[in-house]
Amino acid sequence: MSTPPQKRGLDLSMWRELYGFTKPYKRQVRLLMLNAVMTAGTEALLPLVTKNLIDKLERWELAGPGAPVPPLAWDLAMFAGLVGLLVFSVFHFIRNAGFLKAHMAADIRTAGFLKLQCLEFAFFDKRASGWLVARMTSDCERLARIMAWGTLDVLWGLSLVTGIALAMLLLNWKLGLVVMVVMPLLALSSLYFQRRILRASREIRKLNSQVTAEFNEALMGVKTTKAFTREAEGLVEFQDRTGEMFEASVRNAVLSSMYLPTVLTIGSFAAALVLVVGGQGVLGASLSLGTLVAFLAYTRQIFEPLQQLAAIFSELQMAQAAGERILELVHAEPEIRDSAAVRQRMADQLLAPAPGLASDGHPDELGRIELQGVHFAYTPDEPVLTDIDLVVEPGETVALVGSTGGGKTTLVSLICRFYEPTAGRVLFGGVDYRERSLAWLQSHLGVVLQDAHLFSGSVLENIRYGRLDATDDEVRAAAELVGADRFVARLKGGYAFDVGEGGDRLSAGERQLVSFARALLADPRILVMDEATSNVDTETERHIQAGLERVLEGRTAFVIAHRLSTIEKADRIVVIEGGRIVEQGSHAQLMALGGRYRELHAHQGIQELGVRADDWD
Amino acid sequence: MKHDRPTAPSLIALTRGHRLRYACAILAMAVGIALMFQIPLLTKAVIDGFVAGPDGTYTLELPERLRALGAPFGATGMLGQLGLVAALVILLTAGAGLLQYLRGRWAAQASEGVMRDLRDALFDHFARLPMRFFDRSNQGDLVQRATSDVETLRVFLAAQVVEISRALLLLGFAVPILFAMNAEYALIALALMPVVVAYSALFFRQITRRFQAVDEAEGELTAVLQENLTGIRVVRAFGRSAFEEEKFAAANTEHRDTTWSLMRLLATYWSLSDLLCFAQTGLVLFYGAVFTLGGEITVGTWIAFTEYAAMVVWPVRQMGRTLVDASKAGVAMKRINEILGEPLEEPHDALDGSDVRLAGGLRIEGLAFGFEDGDRVLDGIDLAVAPGETVALVGPPGAGKSVLVELLLRLHDYDHGSIRLDGHELRELPRALVRRDMAVVLQSPFLYARTIAQNLRMAAEDLTEERIFAATADAAIHASVLGFDQGYETLLGERGVTLSGGQKQRLSIARALLREAPFLILDDALSAVDLGTEAHILDALRARRGRQTTLIVAHRLSTVRHADQILVLHEGRIVERGTHAELVAADGRYAHLWSLQTDLEGELTPTGAKR
Repeated sequence: MSTPPQKRGLDLSMWRELYGFTKPYKRQVRLLMLNAVMTAGTEALLPLVTKNLIDKLERWELAGPGAPVPPLAWDLAMFAGLVGLLVFSVFHFIRNAGFLKAHMAADIRTAGFLKLQCLEFAFFDKRASGWLVARMTSDCERLARIMAWGTLDVLWGLSLVTGIALAMLLLNWKLGLVVMVVMPLLALSSLYFQRRILRASREIRKLNSQVTAEFNEALMGVKTTKAFTREAEGLVEFQDRTGEMFEASVRNAVLSSMYLPTVLTIGSFAAALVLVVGGQGVLGASLSLGTLVAFLAYTRQIFEPLQQLAAIFSELQMAQAAGERILELVHAEPEIRDSAAVRQRMADQLLAPAPGLASDGHPDELGRIELQGVHFAYTPDEPVLTDIDLVVEPGETVALVGSTGGGKTTLVSLICRFYEPTAGRVLFGGVDYRERSLAWLQSHLGVVLQDAHLFSGSVLENIRYGRLDATDDEVRAAAELVGADRFVARLKGGYAFDVGEGGDRLSAGERQLVSFARALLADPRILVMDEATSNVDTETERHIQAGLERVLEGRTAFVIAHRLSTIEKADRIVVIEGGRIVEQGSHAQLMALGGRYRELHAHQGIQELGVRADDWD
Repeated sequence: MKHDRPTAPSLIALTRGHRLRYACAILAMAVGIALMFQIPLLTKAVIDGFVAGPDGTYTLELPERLRALGAPFGATGMLGQLGLVAALVILLTAGAGLLQYLRGRWAAQASEGVMRDLRDALFDHFARLPMRFFDRSNQGDLVQRATSDVETLRVFLAAQVVEISRALLLLGFAVPILFAMNAEYALIALALMPVVVAYSALFFRQITRRFQAVDEAEGELTAVLQENLTGIRVVRAFGRSAFEEEKFAAANTEHRDTTWSLMRLLATYWSLSDLLCFAQTGLVLFYGAVFTLGGEITVGTWIAFTEYAAMVVWPVRQMGRTLVDASKAGVAMKRINEILGEPLEEPHDALDGSDVRLAGGLRIEGLAFGFEDGDRVLDGIDLAVAPGETVALVGPPGAGKSVLVELLLRLHDYDHGSIRLDGHELRELPRALVRRDMAVVLQSPFLYARTIAQNLRMAAEDLTEERIFAATADAAIHASVLGFDQGYETLLGERGVTLSGGQKQRLSIARALLREAPFLILDDALSAVDLGTEAHILDALRARRGRQTTLIVAHRLSTVRHADQILVLHEGRIVERGTHAELVAADGRYAHLWSLQTDLEGELTPTGAKR
């Protein structure tokens, strides 16, 4: 298993930048730091209580029989005080670190989410939604955890190591130096193991998700497996996976079970040194018995902070990629957005609204739509649209036809400003749409796509997405207009029927009807239909056809369709092939022309022989 | 129907084959702890061995047994004695460490071995369970059981069992040692242990609930994100960013607040349990001082006690939490057993079938079928097909077409009527044989997340490249495959190329053609293929006519026009049958649909330019 290349160094500037997310929580950060130091301080002091007690008792024993019993109240008070302080600071550091983690995760996620809401479509074309979800969930959680608990661990670890070192040096500097010889060894071996353990557990996570994928596949493909009698072969292949999983898990467990014994053994050398060197000190009366015991305690205690420091250091290295991904997202500049001039005009309009103008200071009407010399390419050397000139009068219905991949969908996406032309202009009422606000344009759009996406929730909620303040009756009216009411009536609960995630409890045709109703409810001035009725049965389509004339009245519409019945009703037909407009005109004109449209038309006639499942009803 | 219901394996049964390793691991742990427990005794020996002289200096006088140990090395002087103890401390720690390592290794091999067996068993079971099991199960839930529940068991076997045994062993060793040194003091040293365990267990029940709340909030948040991101184009098209941001903010805040409330509870839990543990150490420390002052114990015993108490109290605290977590393992085992306890497709058959070679004859008489709890989905089906003939099944969704296909594959077994393949009753033929002789493309065909070549090669053994190319050419997918960067080595699925519905269907057709079986079944296998391509594939099939009996299920009439017989199914019954010409003439459902088509065409091409 190969692991992705890992930058060895720590990118401190990146972490510093991420650390900016703690800004609103300065108070909690300060408290957290205070608590970390307090915890470490009390932990470093606790062995001294034992030391003092031993020394006191030892002196009492030496004083011989009859010596007055020394009072222990002071020691008890010190112990109680230290424990009280420790418990208090533990309580508060968990609270503060927990608070920071929870709030920072939410803040980072919000920053990312807001950015995602304004990034252009091209951004999403390149990234799978599942990948983005993982960034927004596990990456955010992980970074927040590292920053909250990492701050604590680093501060606590450093303070405790310092505290223990100080205590030892003050008690007996020579013995202290002797013990500290093993500290670098402990630190290095911790670093060595922590890094490997982290890497191994990442590999296990990866294998684990592969095993999950195999289970998923086994269940999804169970009929195929049976039909091809592949039960035995499938198992053999799966056993390879579980075998790898076994190996990796055992390797990881072996690493972990080597780690602790190794550092404990290194620690025992320190204890041995204390016994030999310190023991001689006791014999020579230069070291008290209590100090010896305290030193033994410190040799055991010093390993834990070193372990934590090594762990957080490795974690920081491993999480670097996650941090970079998040910062990249937060810093991404939307390529399509309101320009500074537009924003200025919107601010002016907000302060001193000019009557009759839209929020961006231009006339609140669509006017004629013009495409002038429009070029477009998703990637620089593969042009999708070349030299498009098109004028659409208000209220006109334009049908776009042509082969798959010819650029029809791209053209409407440009008109909707989901993408912007790489060259040329798109004008609305004579104004370049880059001079207008995105919100203004998109509030006048109604879009029905071929693969209609619905949100989980009821049919009613989905249609209402088109206009959030629509009444139930308005929603029903829109549904009736597109003929969705017939199938809704058959659903359990009718309009309250939950359509499931992505609408997957409805058929493709039903989803299209709902999305059609949704678009109409928005009462858009521009209606875009991309093969909007391709999955609808013949009966329903006829119904839609009947209503369509009313729907299209007074709206500008762009229709991409394969069905001739839809196309013929258009005011104008634009034939697009290879990214260019090759013909345009009415049905009769184009048929008379005898060009590409006529050719398509003949082919289309065959297409219509295809009868869909629902037609049997 | 009778099933041999295999008894579901218990957790104990699952450990078969791994028990020796487990036993060794526990033994190693016990010996390791025994070694570790010698170290405080050494400290005690040293401390009690210091004898104060009149001038404030000390002499060291270790107990006889220890000195005897050092004698062979000449470690008898005071420095020698110190060196001896130091060497013993290192040896004991290293020895205990070695055993700890072995314990970790063996415990991992045992528990991971059990898990591997369990995963394999589940996978094998999934492949062999009858279809009716899958019809009533939810796939997500099954995967959940095979992964999360297995993980819960893994944590139980790999970590929790070890932790609990460790805590118990620690107590088991500490109790006699402490009581041997001083009974009264021992009681005090253990006084708070039950409280610590009880406190942890009780509190963790509470904490588990909060953890669940966080999990739920996280699920909700993920769902909101997922929906927003998959539907981002719709969000944008309707300018609904503000609405979405509100929805997100609600889920995000809910998640933040539940996490924060969990952390608050954890802060209380950990600090209070720290307090309890420190109270226990404090009791040992100060009672010890008092006992020492009273002359009941030596300073060395006192120090040894504090060390033992420290060694035991933290693992015991952990035990409370582990006990709560471990209770989940029982639930997980039960959920897994529900799968493993399900009866498999019966492997035994009336006939061993090794000498049966099917030629493609099919005769169905009076067939009726219904699922366990439902009405009949097929009723009164009669059909006779000679080898090499093509039969088409058409009809609305839910008419029973796919069920008939599944019956032929013995994915379900029928109770009424008979299905005979070349005179053999289907029910009595071995499933493996039936499926070997049926090449099928299922409705919404399935391809494995492997390369295209691997997917094709599973059709039959030793396929030559020529045969593969011929089949893919017949299925009109060869050119598309070559269009991929990696050609036939292209990986399919999430980590490779996602095929369109039509491509999947065509590849599955190629796979079925490669099987060269006496029966070819296409269940709605051309629905996502465009008409031109369909015509090509149908031509290729026609060229094979006579080689295999072909059953085509379809919605489009263009697909079925040329079949030798066409059956129209409606609500589980055959309502019309005949050739295309006969059915069009018969003026029934088929004819109605056909006229709907031609009408539409006429309306669309007013010039009457029909083909």
